[in-house]
Amino acid sequence: MVNEMRALLHEAAATPPADDIDLAAVLAGGRQRVRRRRARLAGGLAVAVVGVVAAGTLVSQGADGRDTPAASVVPRPDGPVIGLSDAAQAKEGVDYDVLASYTNEDLDAANGQYYDGVTDDGLILFRDGPHGPENKIRYALLDPATGEKDWLPPVEPSDQVWAVELGAERLVLAGVRPKDGMDLTGALVAHVYDRGTRTWSTTTWAGLPAVTGIRSPVLGPDGRLYVRVPATQGSPPPGGWPTGPDGEADDAGAEGETYDLWSVSLSDPADVRDERLRVGSVAFTDDAMIWSAASNGINLRIHVRDLATGAEHDFDPKSGKRCNLLGFGAVADRVVLSQYCGTYDNGRDDRIQVLTTDGDLVTTIQGDGIDGWVTGGVVKVSSHDRNRAGLFVYEPDSGRFTRISDANSSYGLGGPTPEGYLLWDTPVGKASSPQEPIPGATQWLARWR
Amino acid sequence: MRDEDEFVAFAQGARDRLRRTAYLLCGDWERAADHVQDALIRVYVAWPRLTRAGREYGYARKALVSVVFDHARRRSSTELVMEADVQRPDGIDVADLVTARATLLQVMAELPPRQRACVVLRYFDDLSVADTARALGCSEGTVKSQTARALDRLRSVFEDSSFGELTLGAGKW
Repeated sequence: MVNEMRALLHEAAATPPADDIDLAAVLAGGRQRVRRRRARLAGGLAVAVVGVVAAGTLVSQGADGRDTPAASVVPRPDGPVIGLSDAAQAKEGVDYDVLASYTNEDLDAANGQYYDGVTDDGLILFRDGPHGPENKIRYALLDPATGEKDWLPPVEPSDQVWAVELGAERLVLAGVRPKDGMDLTGALVAHVYDRGTRTWSTTTWAGLPAVTGIRSPVLGPDGRLYVRVPATQGSPPPGGWPTGPDGEADDAGAEGETYDLWSVSLSDPADVRDERLRVGSVAFTDDAMIWSAASNGINLRIHVRDLATGAEHDFDPKSGKRCNLLGFGAVADRVVLSQYCGTYDNGRDDRIQVLTTDGDLVTTIQGDGIDGWVTGGVVKVSSHDRNRAGLFVYEPDSGRFTRISDANSSYGLGGPTPEGYLLWDTPVGKASSPQEPIPGATQWLARWR
Repeated sequence: MRDEDEFVAFAQGARDRLRRTAYLLCGDWERAADHVQDALIRVYVAWPRLTRAGREYGYARKALVSVVFDHARRRSSTELVMEADVQRPDGIDVADLVTARATLLQVMAELPPRQRACVVLRYFDDLSVADTARALGCSEGTVKSQTARALDRLRSVFEDSSFGELTLGAGKW
């Protein structure tokens, strides 16, 4: 007797029982996953902030009068390039609608109250503090429509924490308890607020190595928190960094840092997983995990893993030869790289490179003293150039580039926002001297049209 | 905005075919439905990108295989769930057919997941070696070698039994 395998397989699958696939559950699950991802996009912001801090530190070290960069003019990047002068002025009532604002008159004298992000259902995470000798912090959910605050039960931490997820069901704040003398590395701690039961829970993971750094953990689509454990670190060249035309040490083209990627469950302190992946920075889109090969230095590869199928591909981002990757984020099918690419006679070469997840160059925003990060479905670009300071917004899907403000506050404020919301801040008052911060700041929350 | 109507239409059209593939990949109809549901959620998330590329079904099948593999990796113990289908096809010796079919499923359940997927994708979904490699995220050489190993195992069981020879049957490839 001959048995045909094709026929046997078709016959085996020919009489399925009644179909109990629940398409409503599919839609609900899909929507939830997309919402969760959008709320998580601020991970890009996080890394950008860290990168800028680190770059500032490096640039200020090791000036020794060595060789200046060979070129004296800022080079043009590959692909389409735009500058800050290409931005149109955004108008309230046309491009966006302000929902709320809050002013602290003098943050230089004492801590105040802050907008730390926006929940998926449109409430502001409002923080009061830290205050007092014990650095007490209070949180509330503020309804921007009514101004009403719902104060949450106290959460104990004296740790510096930041919002990782601001969902309709839960809020997740994470922080690092630094080891002695290691400011950016330590034990991960997460505080999860269940909005249904109005209770906080705090989790640490004994099996997790010390992680880095400020704001770098990101929430994966699987609900796990992904964190970076330091692996390799670049070092300055013998004799220190060369001095740039501005007289500062120029670390452009530095050797990057790498990290081992780990993940933890937010509900089980024993659930710690070594992802066995060496990365620079990590970000998630709706359906992909994206990582750089290195960060805080030259990065030559971007890797993309399709979360649905597990398929991976990688590409050369065609960043400039001297570009240090400082900020990393992703939105939809776009990867956003914030880079410092050297200082030349005519200024700093800062770039925000936007690529597709297939590696196609979409555009590069180039400027002197700019950095960028992904939040609320857009790329926020901060310019610190005295002549063109302010906040700009680049929309990855349409390419629209607009200017929102003409000045930045002296403080790092804000947090994650859902798609369509924009948080920014402007200065209030005057600095007592050019080296001192501007004392006050107003935070603005707007709905982006 | 994501077009949910288009996604729902796609999901309704694809669910039955995906469920049959899932069943052959995992051996259990209930689990197959769960796997298809998980795979469709993944497809929903990726939908705006897929509809531009026009490769929805292939992507859904690839997502399904990934879900099944993920599930197999997570399971702490292997389950062998076999259902003897007693429906009577006309003009065929039911006792022999049921036994041969059950035997095929039983041996497939014992194959490593990738070998089993090669058999299902090549001889049930009728994919070429290249398309199977794309669906599994591996090289064509891997598909050939994994398929050959699976077929060796399946054929040897049939040869050692009273059911007779196992052939591939007519297909596109």
